[in-house]
Amino acid sequence: MKIIIAGAGEVGVHLSKLLSFESQSITLIDVDKEPLDVVSQQLDIRVVRGDASSLSVLKEAGVSDTDMVIAVTSSESVNITVCCIAKQLGAKKTIARISDSELFTAQDEIDFKAIGVDELISPEYLAAAEVSILLNQNVFTDNYKFDDGALTMVGVILQEHSSFVGKTVQEVSKQTVGLEFVLIVVQKSSTGQTLIPRGDTLLNAGDQLYFTTTEEGVSTLYDALGQKHVEMENVMILGASEVGFQVAKELSERKVDVKLIERDKELAFEVANLLPNCLVINGDGRNIDLLMEESIEDMDAFVALTGDSETNIMSCLLAKSNGVKKTMAMVENIDYFELLYSIGIDTIINKKLLASNSIFKYVRKGQVVSMAKLSNTHAEILEFEVSKKSKVRNKYIKDIRFPREAIVGGVIRDGVGIITLGGFKILEGDRVLVSTLPKATKNVEKLFH
Amino acid sequence: MGKRVLINWNVVARFMSILLVVNGVFMLAVSVFSWFNSEEFFYGILISSISLLLLGSIGLYFFKQYEIESYRREGYIIVTFGWILMALTGTLPYITSGVFPVFTDAFFETMSGYTTVGASIIPDVEQVPQAVLLWRSITQWIGGMGMIVLAIAILPMLGVGGMQLFAAEAPVFGEEKLHPRITDTAKGLWLIYIGFTVIETILLKLAGMTLFDAVNHAFTTVSTGGFSTKNDSIAYYNDMPLVQLIVMVFMFLGGMNFILSYYALKGKFRKVFADDEFKMYLTVLFGFSIIVLVFMVAHLMTMEDRIMGYVEITRHAFFQTVSIITTTGFVSAPHETWTTFISILFFALMFLGGSAQSTSGGIKLVRHLILIKNGILEFRRAFHSRAVLPVRYNKKAVDDNIVSKILAFFTLFTLTFVVGVLVFTALGIQPKDAIASVASTLGNVGGAYGELNNDFIEYSVTAKWWATFLMLLGRLELFTVLILFTPYFWKKI
Repeated sequence: MKIIIAGAGEVGVHLSKLLSFESQSITLIDVDKEPLDVVSQQLDIRVVRGDASSLSVLKEAGVSDTDMVIAVTSSESVNITVCCIAKQLGAKKTIARISDSELFTAQDEIDFKAIGVDELISPEYLAAAEVSILLNQNVFTDNYKFDDGALTMVGVILQEHSSFVGKTVQEVSKQTVGLEFVLIVVQKSSTGQTLIPRGDTLLNAGDQLYFTTTEEGVSTLYDALGQKHVEMENVMILGASEVGFQVAKELSERKVDVKLIERDKELAFEVANLLPNCLVINGDGRNIDLLMEESIEDMDAFVALTGDSETNIMSCLLAKSNGVKKTMAMVENIDYFELLYSIGIDTIINKKLLASNSIFKYVRKGQVVSMAKLSNTHAEILEFEVSKKSKVRNKYIKDIRFPREAIVGGVIRDGVGIITLGGFKILEGDRVLVSTLPKATKNVEKLFH
Repeated sequence: MGKRVLINWNVVARFMSILLVVNGVFMLAVSVFSWFNSEEFFYGILISSISLLLLGSIGLYFFKQYEIESYRREGYIIVTFGWILMALTGTLPYITSGVFPVFTDAFFETMSGYTTVGASIIPDVEQVPQAVLLWRSITQWIGGMGMIVLAIAILPMLGVGGMQLFAAEAPVFGEEKLHPRITDTAKGLWLIYIGFTVIETILLKLAGMTLFDAVNHAFTTVSTGGFSTKNDSIAYYNDMPLVQLIVMVFMFLGGMNFILSYYALKGKFRKVFADDEFKMYLTVLFGFSIIVLVFMVAHLMTMEDRIMGYVEITRHAFFQTVSIITTTGFVSAPHETWTTFISILFFALMFLGGSAQSTSGGIKLVRHLILIKNGILEFRRAFHSRAVLPVRYNKKAVDDNIVSKILAFFTLFTLTFVVGVLVFTALGIQPKDAIASVASTLGNVGGAYGELNNDFIEYSVTAKWWATFLMLLGRLELFTVLILFTPYFWKKI
């Protein structure tokens, strides 16, 4: 599959990395030399220097026989232009990144397909949606929906009083027999190691667990975990960025008491104008006095969404030290993630991970339909479609020779999610969710080929 | 582009000429009416009108229109001097007809007309020739027209007392051209104004008034002026409840934002009822009418012989309240129905004023509304010192700048009130009368009620001039006039 990526920014580079591991043929376009040099040294991809919206550059990148053009430069008008031109020149599918949520929500009104843009991706919108979902089901730290929610992957940090603590996976599964969820990844808090759970894996407080579950299974998972669902009543949001504004808007529509802190006076006034039910405070979120004055200790959640990762991290730590139960920070640098979880930030929001996960589902290489990369672990969840040639076709799960570092998280058959046990027979057309560690990915892919 | 002069007097002179022509045309109509009425002084009015028309035409010939960048300074001058010029030339029919031998008295009456205050120093109105009475009503009607332009275009443009709140509100009539947006809007609203006047005249005639009285009262109702052709004002029509109801409805319309009337006529009622100030207008009118009614009824119970029934007293309570809040100043209720409390309440209501962008005067409800909201928010701000808590008007956050301008307007109004009372008392006027006089001139109401009565007839010449000054101040929302007294106005930056 030939893919052109326009824009070697954070999202572009991350996508190139992901897709090149999948051994796609990637061409990356950017005006700046430096990021291209860095990328071409690290990855096996082709780079073209120039303005992606120019005809000659696109032609040089070989747009006419390309399968997909992904425009992820920082300018949304450039992205849309790139898609329009590429489509005209013969690109099969085009995806444009936009940051304006107004445009993103207007897809019913404006037919973007007609102008050559097949899909719109808005990292800001995705991030806002992610934060809202996680605040809504606040026991969970992560959330990823497969096939519009037929199966959901959720992450949770095991609390001291949970009924799972001190038990092995085998004991837990005996205890929860018949319930609609499967444990697929364990991130040990003691060693920082990511494990694909086996029967003898011991669960301790502080471990981060990932489950796949059906829609109905979510509430049974709540109950089985024995962790309390705290109703979000007071939420403090730092930064009236595009993401912060969207989250504040959604929460205040759900009657949550939102305090939104913004440093820029004019922006604060503008946001106060648009969000009458939200208390907008003009000040610096790193100022502890301000946070105390706005009684941070009474907050159910603290969400830091400014454009500056360090500010977000620091203010989340401040919030945590003042007893806020749930903290979320928007962080750009993926390398920080493990460290951040270990110092107590509950959830990290990363726009480029969200964007690339979301773009990835359009890149159908072989049978991988969808993929979620867990933000703080090495594990990834792959969704395979079982074809005629697939080795697992018409086999019982217990008979498939999975590598040790992989586990089946569930099957989606005709749009319905099923939590599977060993006695489940996989048929053609099923979509199988597999959780694997990177070293096993190749072997798993072979099984489904 | 030439050098920008501080004040372009050419533009000022041209506008003054236009105003002279306007006054001349209306005066000509009155002189024709006078001639038909075979009043012997008609030639005096005719000569006055012809001289005004001549003067105005000469002015228009000499002072050609040309574009200048900003009308800001000229705007203040045109508005203030325009009103003064109208009042000065408007005295001519009073003087030539011999109704007022003294210029001061004539000037007082005309200024009271053009500012739609409605305070009168004619002892016996019913003895005055009809042509002069018609002219008297016309001055208020012209004043109302002037107020529409002032309120819709000029005050928002100059940003007087926070009125830039309405700067972008004006709807566009007809096709949008480069410049005439304001002119088109004004023309459209004048049509509504004229329409209201015509309809009211017809209704009043049908309700039993003479045509002459109907026309006069229509002129002074829609402009929320309050001059009457009867000594007893609207109380003269106490046996014609329908007349009073019609007058009440049109006072209501006169005190309502004309832009909202425009939307209502277009059938956009949702827009009208969603307006914060309109909601307050309705609430205030109903609320205070009910309070007045309760006290009037209670007072009535104490009397031995009931002078009127409940239906009648309800009508009076509503009429009187609407009359004061819209700053019209008509009187319907006999004095016996009033207690001290009601008099004081009416006095307090003079400080409310009608809606912005109406012909009414006073402080205006929107300013009260924003200050009340701001006051309530102050309590919340006490606990969130850094919070951005803007006042909301029609769901939109109001700029701090506007709130502070309105605060400044309040302060200035209060100060002017105090100074006004002090000057009157210094001129030997009883304190009670002084207070009532300032409230009714500054608030553009005109009449004063019950125990706080003001009879300008008895006032000295100086006191009358002071009263006319207060009327002008009140009508032009203080800043427009007072800014001419500041040194900044006459200096280049």
